[in-house]
This record gives sequence, C-alpha cells and structure tokens, in this order.
Amino acid sequence: MPVLTINGTEVEVDRGTTLLKAAAVAGYEVPHFCYHPALSSPANCRMCLVEVEGAPKLMPGCYNQVNDGMIVHTESDRVKRARKAVLEFILVNHPVDCPICDKAGECKLQDYYFAYDAQESRMRAEKQHKVKVYPIGPRVVYDGERCILCTRCIRFCEEITGTGELTLADRGDKAEVRTFPGQDLDNDYSLCTVDVCPVGALTSRDFRFKRRVWLLTSTDSVCTGCEMGCNIHLDHFRNTTERYRPRYNPAVNDYWMCDDGRLSYKALNEGRLEHPMLNGAQATWHTIAGAAASKLAAVIEKNGASSVGFVISPQATSEDLFLAKMFAETAIGEGVRLFINGNDPGSSDELLIRADKNPNRAGARLVFGGLDGVGDASALADALEAGELEAVYMMGTELGAARGRVEAGLDDVGLFVLQAAHQGGVLLDAAHVALPAATHAEKRGTFVNCDAVVQTVDQAYPPNADALPDWQIFMKVAGAMGHKLPFTFLRQIQDRMFEASEAPEPEETATEEAPAPAE
Amino acid sequence: MARTINVVPQERVPKTFWEKSYVPEIMRGLAVTIRQFGRNTFSRKENRDTFTIEYPESGTSHYPERYRGRHRLMLREDGQVRCVACMCCSTICPANCIHIEAGEHDDPTVEKYPAVFVIDELRCIVCGLCVEACPCDAIRMDTGVHMQPRFDRTTAFHARDEMMSRGGLSLATKGGRDAVNEDYTW
Repeated sequence: MPVLTINGTEVEVDRGTTLLKAAAVAGYEVPHFCYHPALSSPANCRMCLVEVEGAPKLMPGCYNQVNDGMIVHTESDRVKRARKAVLEFILVNHPVDCPICDKAGECKLQDYYFAYDAQESRMRAEKQHKVKVYPIGPRVVYDGERCILCTRCIRFCEEITGTGELTLADRGDKAEVRTFPGQDLDNDYSLCTVDVCPVGALTSRDFRFKRRVWLLTSTDSVCTGCEMGCNIHLDHFRNTTERYRPRYNPAVNDYWMCDDGRLSYKALNEGRLEHPMLNGAQATWHTIAGAAASKLAAVIEKNGASSVGFVISPQATSEDLFLAKMFAETAIGEGVRLFINGNDPGSSDELLIRADKNPNRAGARLVFGGLDGVGDASALADALEAGELEAVYMMGTELGAARGRVEAGLDDVGLFVLQAAHQGGVLLDAAHVALPAATHAEKRGTFVNCDAVVQTVDQAYPPNADALPDWQIFMKVAGAMGHKLPFTFLRQIQDRMFEASEAPEPEETATEEAPAPAE
Repeated sequence: MARTINVVPQERVPKTFWEKSYVPEIMRGLAVTIRQFGRNTFSRKENRDTFTIEYPESGTSHYPERYRGRHRLMLREDGQVRCVACMCCSTICPANCIHIEAGEHDDPTVEKYPAVFVIDELRCIVCGLCVEACPCDAIRMDTGVHMQPRFDRTTAFHARDEMMSRGGLSLATKGGRDAVNEDYTW
C-alpha cells in the first residue's frame, strides 16, 4: 500500500484513495463543495486544491489519487491563498443574503468563508441577477443566485436515483441548474438534493422559512415511515419536531432517505391524544389505570381471556412490544386473541423504500416468536363482526384499509381500550378508556428493520401533555390489575428482552463516522 | 501550627445626653423635611428643588437622544414592512419576547416577510439588542415613547401592523449607504 506524507504526517492508505480521503486519515480536513463521499468527483469547485511537491500546479484533492512517496501539503500558504481566491470567485455573484437564507447556520460557503476567506468584497460591478424562487419541483425550490454550480444535485439524480432530471443550463455566470424540458424534480428522493446542496440554492418547500436552523436541536433517531428504518437526525424546537434529515449509516440508508419518510415527521405533532380519557371525559393517570384494570378484569372474569382482543402495533418499539406480550400473558391471561394492526403495504423500490410501511414488524416477530397466530386488522374486523370479542385493547391507531370495518365493529364491544399517541378520529370517540402514549421522538427504544438491523432511537424531548411511553402504561395497568411487572428502567426490559429473543444487541452503527469528512 | 489572630479593639464613642434623649434629634430631622416641603409646595416654581417629572403629561423632552422607547417597524418606499423575517432579533433577544412567523413574499427579490410579528412588551427588557441585530434597519426603538402602564395584559402584545403604524420611511440600503444619494463614489 502506498505510503505518503501529508503535512509531515506519514500515512499508509489503500491504492486508489484520493488525496482528500488520505488527508482525512492523517487528520486534516480539506474544504470542498462539489465532492460528496457518495457521489463521483467532477473536481469543478477547486476548493480542495492541495499542494503536491514536484507538481507544477495545485491539484484537486477529491480527484487525484495517492502515489507512493507523495509529499502533500494541505495547509501551506500557497494552498491557503488558492482557497481564498476560489472563495472570492464564488462570492462574485453570490447574493450573500444569509439573513433570509434557510441554509444559514449549516452552510458550507458560510463556514468556509469565515475559516479561509474572511475579507470584504472587492467586487464593484453589479452582481449577476437570476431567478430567486424557481419552482424546480413540487417539494424543492431553486434559487439561482445562491447556487455555486457544484452539480451535486445533478449527480445525485444521475447516480443515486438514476432519474437524471437535472442539468446545467446556459454558460459562465449565467449558468443555472434546470430540469430537462417537460420534467420536474419529482423523484421519491428529491429532498436529498436539499441536503447535498452545500449552500442555500435548493430549499425544501416544507421547511422553507419555518425555523432558523441554529434554533434546532438534533437528536439521533430512526424514521418510522417504512420497515427500512432510515437513520435520521430528528431536529426539534420547543418540543416540536420540525424536520428529519438522513444520518449516515452504511448498513442501512447511506446518506439518503425518501421524501415520504422525511415528511412523516408531521404525524408526531398532529392529532395527538393528550390526556387519559374515560368515557370521553378527561381523567388522570391515577384514576384511569384503576378504571381500565377493573373494567378489563370484569370482562375476563365474565367471559374469559379468549373474549379479549389484544391488538399490538408494528409502529411500537421492541421494548413496548415486549411489555405488551408480558401484559397480554400475565394480566389478561391464557387464550387472549392477538392481532396486529399497522399501515397497509405501499409502494417500494430498490433503493430505500420498502413496501411494509411499519418500522418494527420484524421486532414484533422477534418479540412474539413469529406472528403466525396473530391476525391482521381485517381478521380483527372479522372477529368483531362475528361478535367473538367482548373487549378490545388496542395499541396504535394505524388500521389501514380495514379501518372502516373495525370502527363499525367497535361500536358493539363492551370495552374498548385505546392506547395510542394519536386520536385516530372515530377511534377516540369509540374508546371507553383512552391512554395517551408517547411517540418515538419522546422515548427511547429499539426498532428492528427489514434486514434485521437493530437500531435505537433516542428521546428528543419529554412526552407531550400527559403521554407516557407504552411500556410504562402497560406497567401501570398491569399493576392496577394485580400483576406487577418487575421493571423500573428501560435497560432492565432490554436485558430481559435480548435474553428472551436471542436477537443481537443493538450495534453502535448509528454513531459510526464516515471515513471521509462527514456530510 | 498555631495561628495568631490579630484583634483590633474599636474605640466606642459614648452617646451624649442630648442624643440619648431622642426627641430633640427627631425634631431636628423633621424640621429639614418640613422646610423642604414648604419650599417645594408654596414657593414660586423656579425656587423649588423638585426633580420628579410629571409623566406622561410632561412629555419626553427629558429623555436623552438615544433613549430606547417602544418598538416601531420601519417601512419601504411603497409602504410595505422592511422586515424580511430573518429572525436575527428574535434570536438575540435575551427575553425571548419577539415572535415571528415568516411568509413567502410576492416579490421574489424580497422573498420573506413577517406574516406574524409580535413583541411582548411585558417581557421586553428594553435592551435594544434587536435594533443592533437587525441587518436591514427594520426595527427601531427611537419612538421616544415610554412603555405605558396598562390595565389589560393583552394590550402589551404589539402586533406587526400596530408597530408599522408607528413606523417611518427608511431608505437604508445594504452596507448602510444612502439610497437617495445615488451618485455616491467609491
């Protein structure tokens, strides 16, 4: 393997490694705009120029590969002067409208300007004006003035999605990113172009103007849009989730996530079940746990556990499902009818989108030792229509196409306990007891994705209103029924759960850093 | 190790009989008060020693030139609000009293405008940081109007249009140069 010297540090890297990556190995960051670790290197921004001894000119670090015995300088005066000049060129026509730019605060041009340029503009001529708000796609807006023509978005659409809607139109300082005639930037991953854009040229219509990014706090989490479980940065402000951004994880989603998943954060903030409700009246946890327990115990005593339908949710974390299993086995008892609800299957593709629109069906399968005896939502509707169920205890409100039938059937049951984060429309009206649960942004937990990767979510902020994590609700109700579940901390549940299911412990894949400078 | 402590005895001056008897000293003090009261109440105005201002009747002439009064939002030439909803003021505000919701402006060169701009004057600590943070001379505190006492808390929330009604025309341009004087040279 070639050995080279970077700023006096000797490093040994694989043949074919670029100078930029080798510098990262040696511990030096080389600034770059057009280079992205997952995309090809056109070397057009010239920001990553480094000095190689013996070479007459500076070389782009993102493109040139290492040679044995190379002596590279990334922090020499010549390199620094070049960076300053490159930034000055880029800023010739950049509007510098940082105060109204959504990217301000996470903009590479801003960061590099302060780090390498930091001089007043010497430009005296009028700047080139372009269209400020160009509707390039249904979810993305393009600002030609801010664009530095790095072509990352174009390469993303060519190399990752393969749709190739984008191109550079016109030349020189009139060049702009445009779609091909008759096309829109309307692929399933179009919002990733907003992430890869190093400046504020591409902005998300959804997040546009909503919040200054420096106000957001970021928590590592997992998208719950489908069973892929893309790793995300969950950005939140004052206990409200404001956006998802993909988080690098080579085992799952690389740098990307789909638009539907990205916009699924809205469900975290809307239609929430806020307080425990007893027959439509607001109650407290103290009274509601006792009421739910006595009602449930009465049904079990009268008709036996087989008249109780217990509906688990593939949207819940594995810990919640584990407690659901313990609750069903101990508190309700032998013979309880198990069902699983969840969103209906949807579209899928070969990149990240999976058909099963629930994040943790694999986890439910592990916890319950297979879902063979567990009926789906339509089986629940069948059982309700046949009048086999006296009571229904349901986690979550996702019922898919069977929603209408289940709602109709629930009118006739003697007891309907709803334990969910959302009101679920008619479901809340039908519920005799409603228990507010926390969303995945409000608790810690584990999801198992379709490839059996066990991933953890962190708590971003405390539960909304009176909500509690599902596992705590199960402990409350079971305790009130006289079956105390022996847990205090989530860690205890995890210990017991991994012991029981023989599932692998969650790896620390989530926090793994990219070999090259992370995006 | 033994430590030595230095004690300095204080000389106490004993009170005289006159001071101990209390009442004459009190009378002396009251005499000063009554003399001032008489002078400030019954003598001619120019002889009085009063420093209080009859606020708000007496106006704001006593305020220094850079007194920070109630906020106002400046206007463009066409009467629209200058604010571009960059949220610099609400970010720097140490009292968290500025609430802004940005909207998409019809004019793409303006891009953003404050659809909602509310200042909670009860929370405001009148520090003036919002004025300094503003990149486009949109918010000022130079009205010279003191924060008014009020009976209803809801009236302390100053909305955008109310602050615009106090506003004036500002022609400041990027970099702080005067747009009216177009033939400036570099």
